[in-house]
Amino acid sequence: MPKRLFFVVCTIALFVLFVFPCTGVNAQDAGAPITIWHAYAGQQDKVDFINYAIESFKEKYPEIQFEEVPMEHSSYKTKLNTAMAAGNPPDVFYTLPGGYLGAFVKGGQIYQLDDELAKDGWGDSFIPTALSSVQFDGKTYGVPIDIDAAAIWYNKKVFEEHQWSVPETEAEFDALCEEIKAAGLIPVALGNKDRWPATFYFQTASLRFNGPGMLGKYASEPESDLFKTAAVKPFEWLNKLATNGYLPIGFNGMSEAEANILFINGQAAMMVNGTWQIGMTNEADKEIFELGFFGFPKFEGGYGDQSDVVAGVAASFAISEKAENKEACILFLRHLTSMDVMKKYVEMRSTMVAVKDATSEDVAGPVLYEVTKNLIEKAASMDAFYDTIMAPLATETYYTVIQGVLDGTISATDAAARLDEALRVQE
Amino acid sequence: MKAEGRNNKLALLFLSPAILFMLVFMAYPMIYSGVLSFTSWDGVSAKKFIGFDNFINLFQDQYFYRALLNNFTIAFISLAFQVFGATVIAYVLVRMLKFVQRLYMFFYLVPVVISEICIGLLWSFIYNPYFGLLNNTLRALGLGHLAAGWLGDPTTAFPAVLNAMNFTYMGLYIILFVAAVQNIPESVFDAAKIDGAGNFKTFFIVVLPMIWNSIQSVALMAVISSFKTFSLVFVLTNGGPNHVTEVLSTYLYSTGFNSFRMGYASTIGFVQMLLTTLMGLIVLKLMRKTNAGAYDV
Repeated sequence: MPKRLFFVVCTIALFVLFVFPCTGVNAQDAGAPITIWHAYAGQQDKVDFINYAIESFKEKYPEIQFEEVPMEHSSYKTKLNTAMAAGNPPDVFYTLPGGYLGAFVKGGQIYQLDDELAKDGWGDSFIPTALSSVQFDGKTYGVPIDIDAAAIWYNKKVFEEHQWSVPETEAEFDALCEEIKAAGLIPVALGNKDRWPATFYFQTASLRFNGPGMLGKYASEPESDLFKTAAVKPFEWLNKLATNGYLPIGFNGMSEAEANILFINGQAAMMVNGTWQIGMTNEADKEIFELGFFGFPKFEGGYGDQSDVVAGVAASFAISEKAENKEACILFLRHLTSMDVMKKYVEMRSTMVAVKDATSEDVAGPVLYEVTKNLIEKAASMDAFYDTIMAPLATETYYTVIQGVLDGTISATDAAARLDEALRVQE
Repeated sequence: MKAEGRNNKLALLFLSPAILFMLVFMAYPMIYSGVLSFTSWDGVSAKKFIGFDNFINLFQDQYFYRALLNNFTIAFISLAFQVFGATVIAYVLVRMLKFVQRLYMFFYLVPVVISEICIGLLWSFIYNPYFGLLNNTLRALGLGHLAAGWLGDPTTAFPAVLNAMNFTYMGLYIILFVAAVQNIPESVFDAAKIDGAGNFKTFFIVVLPMIWNSIQSVALMAVISSFKTFSLVFVLTNGGPNHVTEVLSTYLYSTGFNSFRMGYASTIGFVQMLLTTLMGLIVLKLMRKTNAGAYDV
């Protein structure tokens, strides 16, 4: 008798542990609700935007049931990777474009959108270069949302007070940094603990020295030297910034937010960052802070067009191949990238978007509109953020060597060779 | 005989939920990661069996050695500073400064009850080069030349992390040792006093042998947690700059979740588990030897 009891209890336990959760999922078949994962949590402007997008979607399609899972950006990649690896992806989700999305595409996990984009001019509503960030082998696997560009931001109040002017060339930039140092301020605020902030420095320097599309050449001209020689000068420039004391002390241990505190408090005069800098400084004290920007200085002897800008798609949305109710997912993406919602995005987040004509003057605000007019539209070409288009493994090397070059533990030639090697490895 | 058999079965019955839980959530992932360590897998596409390649790569990987060295350093520092330091502090609190014992115990308890992530954030503000407590204190004391970019400078980053670790874990050990020292019968101290032993002698000759069992388990705990340590390093430096503060766990994390190399990450995890077990056994063995003559009489 006890033996039988033992058996029964074990069976029940097994049933509860394994069978019950599975039947739970199957039972929801009828409504086929969709799960939406996004990384618009934590920061108020992000939350406001996604709430607007979702509420207006609910109003438009009250019959579609869905579950929204908001997450913070910093932990989002890990959670999505884990869900993907476990074979249990969300139906429609926020994702970085380029190499990050590419890994999922390679694994056959992402639903192809070309047929849908061809209908009602949906595909044509996007800026073509933006759409290319979610295309692999000529096929489209997502929709781009926002476009960011890197620029040098400066505090107009501090510049006015000391009568400094915006530098045009590298020599003028260096002279300015020396003056700022002499005035007891930090020339450029950098917080590189999370490793991506310093990539803007490298990539823009590389644009100035080598021109755009260096990463693309790894596919088209694999035999040539590429970054092995081409990256040396940009790395040397990076190292010079650090050794000349143009960066704050301990920059590799400070976060971007900590660096921003220095910038907004007026302890640092400049900051290199993406266009999201506008949103981050909205709350600054107007007495001591006014945001201005300028493009990177021109480098003497640089091969690239000196007006080029580092800009690219920062976020996109994709649909999982496993999603049951793909129609509902597509409706959501169409709604998200509609003119109305995208204009709201520009207005709320002060960021450019991938939909044509949505970044208009009335919603963009003066600084962002000026960035669009004076930086983006005047650029001969745009180069997407390297760390978003590189394969994940190469990105790690890219981040590491930049940190090392900045603190002097890796030489510029060594860093260039390692970056070159990492980009050649096909894993 | 029959009753005993029934009792055993009944015991098994009561244990079965726990065993089941262990099997599903501990044994299965462990075995599975063992299997994964022989594959190349990016987390999304099909797994590729590659034999011992991951292990061969691992033993040629400079960052792995860097992380390993850091883990050993942490283990050594935690034995020397945290465990030994905690015994000294516990002795002082119980035998010499009895009147402040409760107050200090409260202070030491604080880091024990706060989550490690919070402690990490707290220390990252203390270490901030511009508005951090540490540099500002140094400047206020006229020692401005000593101010540094603690977490960002490759020479100071790892010591800064170690310091935060000492702060975090020492409290718990002190609390355990205070209890152990309090359990030593007063007569032993009286006897030592009659024999003319001062505090120094009493501590080394009486107290250490008497609390040796506690030291043994605390040392084991310290060594194991040194090899598993993650959250403080993750929050403070994320293994950077340029891997100088990398430990096995942060390296495993970035390999698996940033580089998408799940197979290789499993190899790191597998080796880490073996090392932790081995180090734990070595510590136990060493301490049992020294213990033999001292306490078990």
